[in-house]
Amino acid sequence: MKKIIVENLKYRYPLSENLALKGISFEVEGGEFIGIIGRNLAGKSTLCQALVGLVPHFYKGAYSGNVEISGMNVLENNISELSKKIGIVFQNPFTQITAAKLTVYEEIAFGLENMGIEIKETIRRIEYVLHLLDLEKYKDRNPFELSGGQMQRLAIASIIAMKPEIIVLDEPTSQLDPQGSEEVFKAIQSLSREGITIMMVEQKIEKIAQYADRVMLMSDGEVVDFDVPQKIFLRDDLLNYGVQAPVFTRVCRSLNIKNKNTGLYPVTLDEAYELMVRHEQNRS
Amino acid sequence: MAKTLSLYVERNTFIHRVDSINKILYVLVSVAIPLILPYKFVAVLLILISISFLLLAKVMRRVIPLIEFSVIILLSIVIIQGLFHAGNKTVAFHIARITFYKEGLSYAFTLSMRVINILLAFAILVLTTKPSELIEALVKKGLSPRFGYVLSSALQIIPQMMSAVGSIMDAQRSRGLETEGNLAVRIRAFFPLIGPVVMGSLIETRERAMALEVRAFNSREKKTFLNERQNLRSDNVIRLILFSILSLSIVLRVLL
Ligand SMILES: Nc1ncnc2c1ncn2[C@@H]1O[C@H](COP(=O)(O)OP(=O)(O)OP(=O)(O)O)[C@@H](O)[C@H]1O
Ligand SMILES: [Mg+2]
Repeated sequence: MKKIIVENLKYRYPLSENLALKGISFEVEGGEFIGIIGRNLAGKSTLCQALVGLVPHFYKGAYSGNVEISGMNVLENNISELSKKIGIVFQNPFTQITAAKLTVYEEIAFGLENMGIEIKETIRRIEYVLHLLDLEKYKDRNPFELSGGQMQRLAIASIIAMKPEIIVLDEPTSQLDPQGSEEVFKAIQSLSREGITIMMVEQKIEKIAQYADRVMLMSDGEVVDFDVPQKIFLRDDLLNYGVQAPVFTRVCRSLNIKNKNTGLYPVTLDEAYELMVRHEQNRS
Repeated sequence: MAKTLSLYVERNTFIHRVDSINKILYVLVSVAIPLILPYKFVAVLLILISISFLLLAKVMRRVIPLIEFSVIILLSIVIIQGLFHAGNKTVAFHIARITFYKEGLSYAFTLSMRVINILLAFAILVLTTKPSELIEALVKKGLSPRFGYVLSSALQIIPQMMSAVGSIMDAQRSRGLETEGNLAVRIRAFFPLIGPVVMGSLIETRERAMALEVRAFNSREKKTFLNERQNLRSDNVIRLILFSILSLSIVLRVLL
């Protein structure tokens, strides 16, 4: 089933002269992991906000086209209604903490209380996400006492507890140290294994290559290309879009080491390693 | 422990477990009664009752600084009323050549007792109730959840902002900005400080507003509360006692 359908989406921020999104169309299937890449100001964050309804309900402005999330029209439903189907995690873990709650446990409950979820179910869901995001140890801590990586996992947990079918991650590790980033990427992988559809904007191209089923390349408010990572990273004009293919892909390309079956260059370390070993064996 | 603005003292006592609404009622009743029954012994009696509750709650030590602070105010009440109260006639005593009058002193005593009474009743409320619990209780009673949110987040965000001010100040100092010295220096140091703080908190506020939106903050569903407090029979008993005492004092006022 189609989880996301975007048809000819155009959007301009209030007081702004240019369109931030210039007629975007694409579809995403349930359970897919989509990576979104592109240079600064390409419109990646704006697209994320348009998926969860922040555009056009929080940011007004000029809006046209059609966005459907699990059959719900974004324009016709408010953000709270949409939050049952789709959640979003932003860059800054600090500002995603409500500051109204004193423990990690209560922080996760915040969204569920607002949705009117009954207490038994709330507790069940909190226990589940504490486990899924490996936060059990911290459940009685004040959220502000967590490290960046832990805080960001709390932000993810708080969203996942609301049981969305889709989660949007807008550069979730860009403000974290390497250890915090690794924690968060592990967490995201476990979400993917749970069958949640994921849309992730990320600068760390190796991570996109490793996780994404398909990659969306954006530039200047448009979707330039939307395909499997191997095809996207084959493009010769990537640098024009402020993106560089993963280092393994570039190395294999310069050595002309391809996957014989698909005729494409590898994008992950494991894949590259395997092909190189085979390449060596064939030579000797 | 992350800082929150709160005077709450964690203890495991009966007083701590009393419903926060009842504690608010207790404050209201003990402020009202000395006004309904304006006899000195009534206020004194209420003070003694509040002190016993504070002792039971094991928080009396935290009240002492409060009382010390109010002593200055009380002392000035005694002096001003003792010297200048409108009804002053009967001389009480002299200090040097200054005369204190009985009427004024008596009035000052009544006033002081009322102030201490209010102070202690409030102390019970703020020292034995978690602010979050209090706010949640009020939201359940119909306070707007938005207003409740503003209150409870302010308790945590204000200390966060203070520490942001601290680190920006350190950063500016390390770039050679003078932040200490006479008033002119301090005022000059204020501007490079306030810019980042204000900009930072404006951006943060917008980001947090978005994060709240996507957590269904503006949902029209009826909210649930994770910390649903079991209604104890004692809650109702306490409420009944408070109302009876209040009614009794009104009846007494009418009869006497
Ligand atoms: N709140 C806003 N008000 C007005 N214009 C905005 C706002 N946010 C973004 N824009 C504009 O919309 C366009 C797309 O910005 P957007 O933030 O979506 O890009 P991005 O791809 O997420 O960039 P980055 O990689 O820097 O996060 C830019 O031209 C930007 O200036
Ligand atoms: Mg962005």
